[in-house]
Amino acid sequence: MYSLTTPRSKKRSLASDPDPGAAEPFEFHATLSRLDDGLDTLHHSVDLLRERTGRPAEDRSLILFETALAEIGSNVLIYTGRHGASGHPVEYALRLERETATASFTDWGPPIHNQLTRAMPAPTSEAGRGIAIARKALDELGYKREGEVNTWRLVKRL
Amino acid sequence: MSLDVQSRQTDGGVTVLAPSGRLDVSGAPTLKDAISEAVKNGKPRLVIDLEGVSFVDSTGLGSVIAALKLVRSSKGDLRLAAPNQQVRVVLELTTLDRVFPYYATVEEALTGF
Repeated sequence: MYSLTTPRSKKRSLASDPDPGAAEPFEFHATLSRLDDGLDTLHHSVDLLRERTGRPAEDRSLILFETALAEIGSNVLIYTGRHGASGHPVEYALRLERETATASFTDWGPPIHNQLTRAMPAPTSEAGRGIAIARKALDELGYKREGEVNTWRLVKRL
Repeated sequence: MSLDVQSRQTDGGVTVLAPSGRLDVSGAPTLKDAISEAVKNGKPRLVIDLEGVSFVDSTGLGSVIAALKLVRSSKGDLRLAAPNQQVRVVLELTTLDRVFPYYATVEEALTGF
């Protein structure tokens, strides 16, 4: 389930807009539970963001943002499902403000502090790249644990 | 979005696997199965045609690395063809572009293979 907050009536080409993020805030909210559907929703939200900003599919900043979003999103969905926290759906939000995309995930899965600083593994390694990719792709990757709740914050200047 | 994989054999004996969809944590097992099937007989030469892959994640990359190791352990080889911009960015980000030199088209990948 998701919702989109965006003033469609003022839609215009953003290519020539000097400050489009400030003029047209973009917000997308969803609750995620199943992995496949959740990933579909994440990619859909970036498609909407791409449409809103008028950026082409080849835009490197959005590619990097979408790549990081899928890595963190799949980690969150897999861990919450594996550890019996799937009774609490993951809360996802995406917003664009002043040419900066910010996404957040809130989940009730186990803490994952020990994975945050994981380096990019050797080229022959078949696993363990997800968080390292997200860190390289984003301007900021934040994580905090409060009580039983994890909150992730992903920031990319577009 | 599920991943579909089509397989064909060229006249020169190279197997071309063409996945379509997202090569991610959901789709990677399908490609792994197709690769296992393709390397069953003899010394495999594989081209993975990525033209239909819209997106790759770290698990999808892992399946390609597993394929390379499997193929080389059988004295064969593997080439990637036609990655889109997102796949190229991820290969570069992970420095796997040094492990997987990719070809712009399947035809180029097949040349001299």
